[in-house]
Amino acid sequence: MLKLLQELIKTGDATTKYPFVPEPAKPGVRGKPEFAGSRCIACAACTIACPANALTMETDAKAGTRNWQLDLGRCIFCARCEEVCPTGAIVLSDNFELSVRKREDLLMTAEFTLTNCRSCETPFAPAKEVNYVIALLIRAGMPWDEAESRRASFETCPGCRRHADVARISRTSLVRLAGLPS
Amino acid sequence: MTELAPGAIRESEEIAKLKQKLLRDIKRSAYVFRVDCGGCNGCEIEIFAAISPVFDAERFGIKLVASPRHADMLLYTGAMTRAMRLPAIRTYHAAPDPKIVISYGACGCSGGIFHDLYCVWGGTEPVVPVDIYIPGCPPTPAATIYGFALALGLLEQKLKTRHHVQGPNEAVIPSHPRIPLRMRVDLEREARRMAGYRQGRIIVERFMKVLESEDPTPFAERLESYLAQEDDPRLTEIVERLKDVALQGRMP
Repeated sequence: MLKLLQELIKTGDATTKYPFVPEPAKPGVRGKPEFAGSRCIACAACTIACPANALTMETDAKAGTRNWQLDLGRCIFCARCEEVCPTGAIVLSDNFELSVRKREDLLMTAEFTLTNCRSCETPFAPAKEVNYVIALLIRAGMPWDEAESRRASFETCPGCRRHADVARISRTSLVRLAGLPS
Repeated sequence: MTELAPGAIRESEEIAKLKQKLLRDIKRSAYVFRVDCGGCNGCEIEIFAAISPVFDAERFGIKLVASPRHADMLLYTGAMTRAMRLPAIRTYHAAPDPKIVISYGACGCSGGIFHDLYCVWGGTEPVVPVDIYIPGCPPTPAATIYGFALALGLLEQKLKTRHHVQGPNEAVIPSHPRIPLRMRVDLEREARRMAGYRQGRIIVERFMKVLESEDPTPFAERLESYLAQEDDPRLTEIVERLKDVALQGRMP
């Protein structure tokens, strides 16, 4: 009996005090993805990587916005979004207290403005993404004015750029066929 | 939000009122019956972990029972397969009113990773009315306890829906301005090769923080003290490799 009591005192109380005291985070635990909208460039890399389609992105051409959404009810906390995010806008925290009474409370949304294509004027690329690409080119060693000079090309949608290329190529080949000085 | 299954149950106002009364006046144990509607069993393991002595849900009188006739709470797990629609409805009818329905895990909340399969209804909601959603894949025992406490009204809900709208002058500057881009790419690649995608990123971010710190002590000494502080031979091995990459300026 005494031995048993000694054993019990030595072992102590194994039960956690949670929820009366906060539960300490275990190392490597993957909890709620924390999204910093100010760091997001709306590149949609996370929505492509997300295996559960918890992250989705839709382009609203009428309003000229791109709408990002995270559905925590569908998230499997795999951290693939964290891996692919080029700016570190989404990082998994150790917050596990995610239970809700309403399904809508599990949704997290963000809205980003799109840049209009320079020739056809349809919105197509997030303004922040274009600016980020130029900042990245400068960081990679390109002079500022050269990087800025590419802005016109970045702000043209792929379709219009293709048309422009075709027009340019056909013009130069016509010139060559006619034997005229280019 | 989601398409309803045939025979889906919606809650009447009278029942909702009764339920409010139950939540307000419940002065006894809450018995939980668990319905597996096509889960992978991960959620079940976590539920049983939550009633183990370490987390001990029985402190709050929460007890798993073997029959829905005894239950105050129904715990639905799994993505609700076609075959489990009727058993789920029958379980709901078998439990006495008023009852609390908890949707457990990512699959229960929305269908999770299986949401667009042909053979699932996409969670508990299309079949029975849900009171509490506990997301997670699977929810940890602590998250389970939190969900139970929320269902019984012991704790407050912490998560709220959030909406971010892009500000007028919002811009993102590439991080780590003091490290050449080429070197940063090499470091990140090597760290992920050594430690996998998530840990690799965490390790390389810490390494780059040490690398570009404005502390006047030499880089090697700073790195040494960081490694001594972490005291992990695996980390030391990876960080030594990263150091080689950083010093050579390219992949070895």
